[in-house]
Amino acid sequence: MRLKRPLVLAVTLLGACKPPTPEEQMDSIKSWLATSEMVAEGWLRHTNPDKYSRQTLELSHETLVQISTDLLSSLPPAVDSAALDSVLASSRGHIDQMARLIAAKNSPDFRRQLDSLRADEKTVEQLSNGMPKQ
Amino acid sequence: MHLVRDVLDKELLDREEEPMGRVDGLIMQLGERSQPRITHIVVGGATLWERVHPAFGRLSRRMSRWWGPKRDKEVRIPWSRVKTAGRDIKLDVEGKDTGAIDWELWIAHHIIEHIPGSGHEEADDGS
Amino acid sequence: MKKILQITLGIVTSVGGFLEIGSVTTAMQAGASFGYQLLWAVLLGTLCLIFLVEMSGRLAAVSKHTIVEATRERFGFPFFFIVLIGMALVSFLVLVAELGGIGLALQILTGVGFPWWAIPVSFVVWVMMWKGTFSLIENGASMLGLVTISFVVAAFKLHPDWGTAAHGLLPTFPDDKKANYWFIAVSILGASISPYLMYFYSSGAIEDEWDETYIPINRIIAGIGMSFGGFLSMAVLIVAALVFHPKGIDVEKFEQASLLMTTALPKWGFTLFALSMLFACFGAALEISLSIAYFFAQGFGWNWSEDLTPSKDARFCLTYTVIIMAAAIPLLFGVDPIKVTIISMALTAVALPLAIAPFLFLMNDPIYLGEHRNGWLSNTVVTIVILLSFVVAIIAIPLEIIGS
Repeated sequence: MRLKRPLVLAVTLLGACKPPTPEEQMDSIKSWLATSEMVAEGWLRHTNPDKYSRQTLELSHETLVQISTDLLSSLPPAVDSAALDSVLASSRGHIDQMARLIAAKNSPDFRRQLDSLRADEKTVEQLSNGMPKQ
Repeated sequence: MHLVRDVLDKELLDREEEPMGRVDGLIMQLGERSQPRITHIVVGGATLWERVHPAFGRLSRRMSRWWGPKRDKEVRIPWSRVKTAGRDIKLDVEGKDTGAIDWELWIAHHIIEHIPGSGHEEADDGS
Repeated sequence: MKKILQITLGIVTSVGGFLEIGSVTTAMQAGASFGYQLLWAVLLGTLCLIFLVEMSGRLAAVSKHTIVEATRERFGFPFFFIVLIGMALVSFLVLVAELGGIGLALQILTGVGFPWWAIPVSFVVWVMMWKGTFSLIENGASMLGLVTISFVVAAFKLHPDWGTAAHGLLPTFPDDKKANYWFIAVSILGASISPYLMYFYSSGAIEDEWDETYIPINRIIAGIGMSFGGFLSMAVLIVAALVFHPKGIDVEKFEQASLLMTTALPKWGFTLFALSMLFACFGAALEISLSIAYFFAQGFGWNWSEDLTPSKDARFCLTYTVIIMAAAIPLLFGVDPIKVTIISMALTAVALPLAIAPFLFLMNDPIYLGEHRNGWLSNTVVTIVILLSFVVAIIAIPLEIIGS
């Protein structure tokens, strides 16, 4: 028992990484889209400061690029991968634009981008419903 | 007196009730017809580490040759110096004289006192 | 009158010092992923902690020995050494997470990335330890931690359905994401039942010179202080359940966590969250550094007291200096503190049996506790906690692999 413990700890640390399933990746994408929406709304309502909002939208964008690439390469055939690719690229574009508009303090254009992002999120939700449950 | 339970690993206090380490080992005399009796308390160093594993004891001996207070032998305190043995073991010795706190003093002089704010400058008793 | 002041202070410091990055992160992930369903895990963890903290205080007050000292004396150096290594490693990881938490809070407030804060933050923590006294650390840092009460304010402002929330206090099983559910449950237990809290509390009782007359005070502080602390964790979970769960936001990064209170408290929510994390993690960093240094010093019989000047307890001070410097290193390399938090909470759960099992023997030892030994209730609770900790320790590893 005493000697096993350090081994167990080592295994735990090594085993902490396991590849996520497509369903988990989809959940992660939806989570980050929702995060971007929440950060954007917060900036418009002045509950979040500028620097944080911009940096978080940039982080969101980066993270979505990573997950999208992984997801699209392992997507089950039931999901329309072309449509998904298109809407994800579109939403990433809106997020990227919003990050730039913060410096310019351009609220009207920012609002338009946010509305487009919301529309994209609904599309993503519909497409993801086609995914088989794990 | 149950040696392992009542003496080993207990805290040692010197004449001024200052801590001077723990009972890390014991040296005993085994007589032919008499009960085994403790002759010395051992403090610190290789004796302690050998209780975990002999390899640790060897490593401890090797490392103490490179740095720290150089001691050829481990610290042994005669059992006769024990005043009382209860929750801790009170000894009739000065901690500094036994060598038991050599490491504490060495680290204090060579490392701690070189860092500002260590309180060394404020000490007025020269210790 | 003096005793009432001490009780009040004890409760206040327990509350202010309760939340740290582990309890906040696990509570937020629980609320975001599973709504109110995991409130029972916070309740269970808090109850276990109350009993364990009360026992560690009672042991110190009656025997004038801390748990660490009693562990070495009762079980011998070889067993003590195993516990030392386990606890030191786990506590060190938690310290990295806390220092990282301070850095992340500063990052969202200033925009400057957390790796840049690693050295300044470690330096400030070290200076507090070097020049501060025990009272300053125990009381000062915890007072600052009271800003975490803003989580409770946010919870009330969101008007949760308290009836539905209360259902979460009883264990239920989820329909899907089972592995993730149990992984978070185990992490919540690891975050609530932090061994360093018990060691710190026990050493604190000695630093504050408690004796047998403090046994009732100890019971009140442990019971009420830790309960209020548990409420804070529950408040975080409830707010996350109301804010993140409906939107499907999983809290993976600190940037997402920062949005926690902006809905309930539009004007101050963002800043209050950052300040809460800043002060909570700062207090925890001090406590953990002290706990690890106490562990070495008490176990090996060195001088130890935060009230002594460093030249008088050189090895003790060298220990925490080295630990704090080492903890800054992973952060300098940009290791994500949230990831370290998740791993360290699970590892704490794995190491729990090592910390808690000695309690069963020590708390029944007449040499240490005399007539204040555990009654049947405390013994039953400790036995259940030990069994629970073994179960948790065994399932934590596979859950980490499957469910994180």
